[in-house]
Amino acid sequence: MTRGFCWLVLALLSAAALAQGPEALQPLFRDIRAEAGIAFQHHSAPEKKFIVESMSGGVAAFDYDNDGRVDLYFVDSLTVDTANDPKAARSALYRNLGGNRFEDVTDRAGVGHPGWGMGLCTADADGDGFEDIYVTNLGPNRLYRNNRDGSFTDIAPEAGVTAAAWSTGCAFGDYDKDGDLDLFVSRYVKLDLAHLPEFGKGKSCEYRGVAVQCGPRGLPGEGDLLFRNEGSGKFSEVGAAAGVHDPRGHFGLGVAWFDADSDGWLDLYVANDSNANFLYINQKNGTFKETAFAAGVAVSEDGAEQGSMGLAIGDYDNSGRLSIFTTNFSEEYNALYHNAGAYFSDWSFRSKTAASSLPYVGWGTVFFDYDNDGFQDIIVVNGHVYPQLDQARLGASAPYRQRRLLYRNLGDGTFEEVAARHGQVLTEPRVGRGLAMTDLDDDGRIDLVLNDLDGYPQVLRNVLEPVGHWLWVKLVGKGKNTSAVGAVVRVKAGTLVMQRLVRSGSSYISQDDKRQHFGLGKAAAADSVEVLWPDQTTTRLENVRADQVLEIRQP
Amino acid sequence: MTRTLVFSCVVAAAMGPAAAQTMPAAAQTRPAAPRSKPAATPSKPVEPPAVVLARADEALAAKRVDEAARLYASVAERQESVRALLGLARIQSGRGNPRRALETLERAKALAPNSEEVLFAFARVALAARAPVVAILTLEPLARMLPSVMEYHYLLGVAMMQAGDMPSAVFALQDAIALEPNRSVTLVALGLAFNSQKLYADARAPLLRSLEIEPDSLEALAALAESEEGTGELQASETHAQRVLAREAGNAIANLVMGLVRMKQERYSEARGFLERAILTDPLSGKAHYQLSLACARLGDSAGQEKHLALYRSVQQEVAARLAELRGASGAQKGGTSP
Repeated sequence: MTRGFCWLVLALLSAAALAQGPEALQPLFRDIRAEAGIAFQHHSAPEKKFIVESMSGGVAAFDYDNDGRVDLYFVDSLTVDTANDPKAARSALYRNLGGNRFEDVTDRAGVGHPGWGMGLCTADADGDGFEDIYVTNLGPNRLYRNNRDGSFTDIAPEAGVTAAAWSTGCAFGDYDKDGDLDLFVSRYVKLDLAHLPEFGKGKSCEYRGVAVQCGPRGLPGEGDLLFRNEGSGKFSEVGAAAGVHDPRGHFGLGVAWFDADSDGWLDLYVANDSNANFLYINQKNGTFKETAFAAGVAVSEDGAEQGSMGLAIGDYDNSGRLSIFTTNFSEEYNALYHNAGAYFSDWSFRSKTAASSLPYVGWGTVFFDYDNDGFQDIIVVNGHVYPQLDQARLGASAPYRQRRLLYRNLGDGTFEEVAARHGQVLTEPRVGRGLAMTDLDDDGRIDLVLNDLDGYPQVLRNVLEPVGHWLWVKLVGKGKNTSAVGAVVRVKAGTLVMQRLVRSGSSYISQDDKRQHFGLGKAAAADSVEVLWPDQTTTRLENVRADQVLEIRQP
Repeated sequence: MTRTLVFSCVVAAAMGPAAAQTMPAAAQTRPAAPRSKPAATPSKPVEPPAVVLARADEALAAKRVDEAARLYASVAERQESVRALLGLARIQSGRGNPRRALETLERAKALAPNSEEVLFAFARVALAARAPVVAILTLEPLARMLPSVMEYHYLLGVAMMQAGDMPSAVFALQDAIALEPNRSVTLVALGLAFNSQKLYADARAPLLRSLEIEPDSLEALAALAESEEGTGELQASETHAQRVLAREAGNAIANLVMGLVRMKQERYSEARGFLERAILTDPLSGKAHYQLSLACARLGDSAGQEKHLALYRSVQQEVAARLAELRGASGAQKGGTSP
């Protein structure tokens, strides 16, 4: 191809772009839910008269049958009216058949009726090489042990992890470095279905003069739980001894294990609704020290407690440190706590992610590189908790159904909100809750799965063209932690130096694909791929071809 | 409540130099209400109320305030006179006793529940008495019934700011600006209401317009610096905050803004100084206390961090109690579900 021809092509492309005008939509996601065969629908009471009817909606992207394709599990919920009929709600497991087709295998798997479902997390809890599912409920939680034959068995009572009460978030992580996965469970409000707070009655049951559900303020909060894996299929609840049991009963939701201070031990972050968030620093002796205020990740920059729901953990600026992004209530801002090493700085407004979030109630969120340029972008799914809100004079708040927010990482520490450029699939008003990131067709472009409250989910296939080169890294740990939860993958490609953390539990009470995605931009190969395993051993590969799903087994 | 001082300023602006002395002229000239019950048989001739009220007005004009108060009170006691009650309330408020004035005006309101003058005076005194919910409940019907009176929308906005309901305050202030676009104090109040909601970009236009009208307004300049800090324009923010501090070294907002700017620049020692000065002027600023605790933490001063965190928490509790009290008065404010 001659240089003159290239210029001609470029000129024609430029003219075409100009002809489209600045408002031209660029396809990014296409909702393939219906054509993929996903008929799941989340249920809740239409009026949401009780807070427990507003909080559900976890979703998981994980490979339950080890066939190399990512499957999906959606959590459904009961309502106050159907509370005594466990079959009234049906959670659903979909097996990925390839070609963006899914099969409902819920009944065969035996995971359709976990109870009044909220959220979930997955990991290989028993070290048999297959992912298990932990489902949080209003009522006893489920630990669905993977039977390795397409079916699951609830072993929560025998394992000692039923928890009871109202659980929301969960995450597996090996906090004591004994090689197996422990489990943290956040809990929300103490709720007695026989004595529910009366809708619209009381100071905490009104919003802008409109009667709404009561809580969480004004209701008693529930403490959190830490289950230590004893290695014999049993767990022991050690929250109080470890100092993470939240005796004041903050309203716990999103949860993340990650190494906040880069000392090689997993720390714990808990997003609390209407209370200060927690950052528990691992003291390496089975206990934790809560340091959120000193670290700068407890509240807003005003010192105001925010209604934190979901959270994302990521190295969005390729600094080698993991930062925190939390989603919050309307008229608050979603908070980006930038990890500065010894502490965190609230860079929400500086990063230009805050102002656009003010009207929305945020839930699921994830750092993800949707255009494979080597910098992680952010998506937030939104939706209010009060259907009655549409009768109110809203001020700065958006109405009940809300759009999503998509922040493109500009690579300089700032983001640009670009959802409107990508059409209705992101801007259509919905009532978002759970969100999981994955790649359903292994084409290197990150897809998203959204579980809305009281409606159909969205299965968003990434169709962006063109995108940069990519690499998915799948880790298989040795010993009992075969999911390699807590491992860190570092990839260098040209000037890009990126790191990702394998996590159980993510977003808003959901589960992201545990494979780690790297956008490589123009690089057709990664200079190096390095894995820091949970036991601090490392594996290093060099000159790794791009555009592949790379499996690395711990030696 | 970070806005304590700002609200005070806005309220002061709303009330004028002395709330009582700026009550509506109509109220001051309103004829006394007719006697509703016969006076007791006098032992000596009693001056007609109109004469006494005229003497009271003269005394007040001549700054013989005690005499004026005695005369208004005597008429108010002898008969149910709205004019006397308004005069008395004016003096009580001017003496810095708005709570007492509010009680007096309650009596006037009972006599003339639909009197625009009485309601307006009542609302203004309620604001001065830091009873914003009472003011809101009075101003809302006034603004609805008389939508073309700018002052009612403005005061409603101020009352809503005082009550912490910033979104509603913005609606009311925008209504006021639509009626009188070039009133500096309304523009500043709107800017402050936007800043309070972190809608910093929205705050810019009214604040810049306010400064065009009144270039020397320290409140507008400080609020502009705050909005610029919020939008990340640190240089402009610092310039404007320093201009404020050059003229008023203790300005709480400007010191807070400078503290925030220095925090973002990771100049924690300087940040600490500015934040300490902000707290000296506005001890109820939760934001300043919180940021000061962070500055101490960054400086490795864990004792200072703990101390200011404790102070922050106590301020939060105090503010929460106040807000609960305010909201409890009407039950119509933000309920606190999720936050």
